[in-house]
Amino acid sequence: MPSGYHGSYLRIDVSSGRAERVPLSDTVLRHYIGGSGLGARLLLDEGGATADPLSPEAPLVFAFSPLVGSPLTTSAKFAVVARSPLTGRFNDSLASSGFALAGKRCGCDAIVIVGCVPTWSVLVVDDGEIRLEPAGDVLGDPCHVAEEKLRARLGADYRIASIGPAGERGVRYATISHDGRHAGRGGSGAVLGSKHVKAIAVRGTQRCDWAHPRKLTELSRDLSKRSFGPATAKYRELGTATNLLTFNRFGALPTRNFQSGTFEEAASLAPEQLSVAHARTRASCVACTIGCEHIYALPSTALTEGEPRRGVRLEYESMFALGSLCGVGDGDAVLRASRRCDELGIDTISAGGTIAFAMECVERGLLDEPWLTFGSGDAVLKAIDLIGRRDGVGRMLAEGSRRAAEVIGQGSIAFAPQVKGLEIPGYEPRALQTMALGFAVGARGADHNRSGAYEVDFSDKVDRRHATLDSVRHAIDTEDKAALMDSLILCKFLRGVFTDFHAEAADMLQAVTGWDVTADELRETARRIVASKRQVNLLAGWTPDEDTLPERFLDAPLPGDAAALLTRERLQELVAEYHRQRGW
Amino acid sequence: MYVEFLGIPRERAGISELEVEAATLGQLLGTLAATCPALREFITADGLHPSIAANLNGDAFVRDPETRLAKGDRLLILSADAGG
Repeated sequence: MPSGYHGSYLRIDVSSGRAERVPLSDTVLRHYIGGSGLGARLLLDEGGATADPLSPEAPLVFAFSPLVGSPLTTSAKFAVVARSPLTGRFNDSLASSGFALAGKRCGCDAIVIVGCVPTWSVLVVDDGEIRLEPAGDVLGDPCHVAEEKLRARLGADYRIASIGPAGERGVRYATISHDGRHAGRGGSGAVLGSKHVKAIAVRGTQRCDWAHPRKLTELSRDLSKRSFGPATAKYRELGTATNLLTFNRFGALPTRNFQSGTFEEAASLAPEQLSVAHARTRASCVACTIGCEHIYALPSTALTEGEPRRGVRLEYESMFALGSLCGVGDGDAVLRASRRCDELGIDTISAGGTIAFAMECVERGLLDEPWLTFGSGDAVLKAIDLIGRRDGVGRMLAEGSRRAAEVIGQGSIAFAPQVKGLEIPGYEPRALQTMALGFAVGARGADHNRSGAYEVDFSDKVDRRHATLDSVRHAIDTEDKAALMDSLILCKFLRGVFTDFHAEAADMLQAVTGWDVTADELRETARRIVASKRQVNLLAGWTPDEDTLPERFLDAPLPGDAAALLTRERLQELVAEYHRQRGW
Repeated sequence: MYVEFLGIPRERAGISELEVEAATLGQLLGTLAATCPALREFITADGLHPSIAANLNGDAFVRDPETRLAKGDRLLILSADAGG
């Protein structure tokens, strides 16, 4: 067995309360590494591609990686992999921090959960031994409250991943939360909830050794040193929310359900403005030297009676989705909406996308909810609560924009902001057309973490508003790179510090595992991992017509920017070329 | 012509825009290094540090120091990493 691994995964059937260790061969580990890659492989092996995502048979994979527990900065991460209840397709969502370290110390490279407990429970994995405890005292609790209570009950050395009320009620874009962060996209929280597991608590003592500890220490020091440099300054000093003003300037900030690429109140949501009136602190994941988290507090004068003083982690995606996408320019309202999503355990992008879609339906007279209007922060907050409770119109919105469009009908699917059912993140496809291709072909749907094609659009390699066939290789490169980073696992905010990512990644993996791995081998591995995600989708019923964008984005220019036009024919050519270059 | 700062360049420069005279991107960067010392970290002998991008009038991204600039142009200087 290579260093850096335990050589097995823990398969837990919560129906019977039993666990078994399943060996992982050296070949599987080397071919899929860990994280998303290993998770995809295990999902296939466990029959997860064809099982109903919310059925007891559906596997939910928590995959660690060889780098977890090493001194390499940002490596304390885990991937949650399942068939998505939102899209019906492959889904992997990543989160950070102590859960990854404690989970791997349980003596396994992944935890696979199947089955369903008759009554709501907490799954405890104590150094590899499992038990189920009643979850009655934390049922209905927000994610962070459940986590605090469970650590008080079980012990401070446990690390907890929990769902919120939204996951308990099967909201199709519910998250799994740990330490304030979320494995957010695609509804893995609903999958865990369908098994009646409110939370997973892990602790352990089993550490892996490293093949070349001295070399690993040198590589780790060097990487940490570079992580303090200019390539990560944006994340450290302003956070991702600084994208707001940049994207707005380029007409690429999705506004009012993608009806515009500019938002007249963008400045009021930007961190440059928010930090004037709001106290801001910074935080880091465990084992991270970047410290990208910027936590904003609502001013005491703005707090309503009984409102928690807890700060809000603020990211660009939450600001765009709950702000400009819903036409809301009130920073305090967006902070509150983001905090409420965190408490309920809801993906902010899908929440904002679905609410913005509903707002446009109201605007067009297709939905009779007159309170649900663009620009109303109160309406966004009310809609989030209704979604979390699956109450009123929230029952429909909890299903996501694609299913809501199927209910509303009247052609509304044309402007439901989703691909394969996953709501589109904050990158206007007509203004960023390499990204548009990345969205169209993404295995888990429209996604900015699995395709980094926006990097190409913000460079001199392409004309961002006129994609050509040459754009395709760039889109493939960024998708492959993301697959590798998500499998190693390293934070993507590090990507700017590498001069030759594949060669440096090979050095790191060699130091950890002892494999004589090369940059070329890792390129091949990345392609294999992307192909394995597609294999899940093929088994799940994928058809070629899914690799597209909603009608809204095709054949008409982005309002206010005549040059931002993507024709259906051009997108089809790009997608066909993508499949050709992939060899699919 | 005008230079607009976004993201980290704005944070460092302490201003959102600046009027300058320059015939090429290289000349402009030289002027910026002299007038905004906080930006020197991002300006190298070859032009811009890879973590920073420059865009002309919201259209093309440019890096070549020989890129010609015209009166009335607006050069946007921003963090190259647009990820979130």
